[in-house]
Amino acid sequence: MAVIEVKHLRKAYGDQEVLKDISFQVAEGEVIAVIGPSGSGKSTLLRCLIDLEKVDGGSITASGGVLVEEGRYRGKKEAGQATEKMGMVFQQFNLFPNLNVRDNLKLAPRLVKKEKEDALEKRCARLLDKVGLAHKDTAYPALLSGGEQQRVAIARALMMEPELLLFDEPTSSLDPELTGEVLEVIRQLAAERMTMIVVTHEMGFAREAASRVIFMDQGRVAEEGRPEEVLDRPRQERTRLFLRSTLKQ
Amino acid sequence: MAYFTGIAPFLLEGAKMTLFLWALTLVLSLPLGFLVSLLVRSRFRPLVWLTEIYIYIMRGTPLMLQLMFVYYGLPFIPVVGVWLRFNRLTAAVFAFALNYAAYFAEIFRGGFLAVPKGQYEACQVLGLSRMQTLTKVVVPQMIRVALPGITNETITLVKDTSLAYVIALAELMHAAKATVSRDSNPAAYVLAGLIYLVIVFAVTLVFKKLETRYRLMEK
Repeated sequence: MAVIEVKHLRKAYGDQEVLKDISFQVAEGEVIAVIGPSGSGKSTLLRCLIDLEKVDGGSITASGGVLVEEGRYRGKKEAGQATEKMGMVFQQFNLFPNLNVRDNLKLAPRLVKKEKEDALEKRCARLLDKVGLAHKDTAYPALLSGGEQQRVAIARALMMEPELLLFDEPTSSLDPELTGEVLEVIRQLAAERMTMIVVTHEMGFAREAASRVIFMDQGRVAEEGRPEEVLDRPRQERTRLFLRSTLKQ
Repeated sequence: MAYFTGIAPFLLEGAKMTLFLWALTLVLSLPLGFLVSLLVRSRFRPLVWLTEIYIYIMRGTPLMLQLMFVYYGLPFIPVVGVWLRFNRLTAAVFAFALNYAAYFAEIFRGGFLAVPKGQYEACQVLGLSRMQTLTKVVVPQMIRVALPGITNETITLVKDTSLAYVIALAELMHAAKATVSRDSNPAAYVLAGLIYLVIVFAVTLVFKKLETRYRLMEK
């Protein structure tokens, strides 16, 4: 069964169409890498899936429920249920600067799921250990490096036990030497069969960790397939052009 | 020196009233200002306009005029005027609280604007309600940004209480002026000035402590 299903998604800012008739579905355990030139609509697509942006047409059905059906949104409650099982990791981390690492992790499950403190404490310790930051549990975000902040952000998203995790260019605001530690955590999640959609510019990561690559261009899915198909034997000319330009950099 | 010790008790009586007016104004205007800053952010446009007009009037007219209007002017309003006859202290607190709430509201508004959009988005994807987002994430960050401005206004308020002199409230300035007139000796002004300095020094110290604590929390 699909964790998320997207049909004929359309979105425009004014008369500029940023998403044009996008359809795809993601099955449990899949890792989708979304690649493409900037301005191709990758991030907007991701933000629509978790209801940070509204679409103008099409449907989004998640395992939690229907978010939007043929351009019509259900109520606030239904939207909340549809996105409840999704987590998101942002390019800018967006940790809460007023809370230390541990409280960043525990805030949402404590308030939203009303979980007991000892259960939260256990899961918090396990997840910090998983991202290699058990020793930073009482540090405030401002004292952490970008790579550490992003790993905390991943642990924070995992605290809500999502069925689908969305990554919006998780390494794009990091110094090159810090991207490895973040990608390693995502790779590890992929190995554990966590369902993920990762918008990324890291072709090496897409090749190794993704089960499927979606290439977006000018608001459309231009090409889609297994990493070795899309990255090594692209059928479309624009995919070839894009891959050549990223290799040059 | 003997003259100073002689007039000190009377001036300190006035200082007590000054402090009382200062504290009462703060206790009322800080929550009121916070509420106003929330109303300005409301999605209901007429409410936003009303609060903006309120802020405009409070910031656009002299505090002394507002003080006189509340004490001398309100009782002359037809029909409801009889109910608006306040004693001096009530009138002063009323005018000061309304005026300072407007300034505090603007400071809080600036603090709210300093909280990045990404913080709201992180809260949304984690499933926090609007109320939880506000109380647990946005307000703590907003206060840290607003605190220096709040400190500044709080110090200004210590000195602004002297305006209550125009409605003859028995605060420090009033006591000093009365003493100078009675004794034809300006020494009372000097003593009053010293007392204001001591109060401001104490207030500064307290807020410095608060600011460092908020900064420590994030570093």
